[in-house]
Amino acid sequence: MNQTQTSAPVGYMQRMRDYYLALGYNNPYQWAYHESVPFQALKKPVTQSRIGLVTTAAPLKADAGDQGPGAPYNAAAKFYRVYAGDTARDDFLGISHVSYDRDYTTADDIGSYFPLAALRGAKADGQVGGLSPRFYGLPTNRSQATTLNQDCADLLAMLQEDEVDLAILVAN
Amino acid sequence: MGCAKDIVEHCGVPRFVFSDFPLGNAAGKPHDMASQRQTLTLALQALDTASAARTTVTSPQQWSPDTQWKADFYSIAKLSDEELAQRRAEFDKIKAVGKEVRDQAEG
Repeated sequence: MNQTQTSAPVGYMQRMRDYYLALGYNNPYQWAYHESVPFQALKKPVTQSRIGLVTTAAPLKADAGDQGPGAPYNAAAKFYRVYAGDTARDDFLGISHVSYDRDYTTADDIGSYFPLAALRGAKADGQVGGLSPRFYGLPTNRSQATTLNQDCADLLAMLQEDEVDLAILVAN
Repeated sequence: MGCAKDIVEHCGVPRFVFSDFPLGNAAGKPHDMASQRQTLTLALQALDTASAARTTVTSPQQWSPDTQWKADFYSIAKLSDEELAQRRAEFDKIKAVGKEVRDQAEG
């Protein structure tokens, strides 16, 4: 493969379609698509805004097997309801329940997929006005209807309750 | 913030910071706070400066001069029929576990 090809971003949708077809599944995943995408201009600068961090990482689940760095894909670690955690703490959050690149990365630094430490630094440096007291966990549910109708509604309610101005979603 | 450019852009989001890194590193390189702060700064700048939905900002950071990881992810090129069958059996198990956990959560 030449450099031109490899410098382009990976076409994940095609790659995964091909992979699962090769495995013998004939029902390719239909990725979420939205004709219309909402947009809100900022009402105040980021430096005066409270930031809410939204993650698809999972809290440690008892009796669900290996969820740490380098763990094999672990469907038992999945979660199916929006949750919240304390941004003043440093709790373990894992990504063993999603398809990250297990050949080239090991998820042994939470900061590479959950930028709470970076956000604390940004707050200390005045780059953001503040940090919400809670972060928010969003399920990686394969039902797009559940994501839209249940999870997004639950997430929005929490963000509003915490008076979050700006949400940053880090997808894994 | 994400690493799967095509998936996020297909879905459509207001603002997107794309890091061309192996999946699992949407917030920056592991054990590299400078990389993580720089990635977050791009997100904060995108919040401030984007004027319309579907704005993508691409991080200038490079994972490694070696881009083999891009070719290897979910590659079927080097898998034998036996390996494909083995992967299918593993995935069937994963799906069964996922269904059980989901049923319990919803039950």
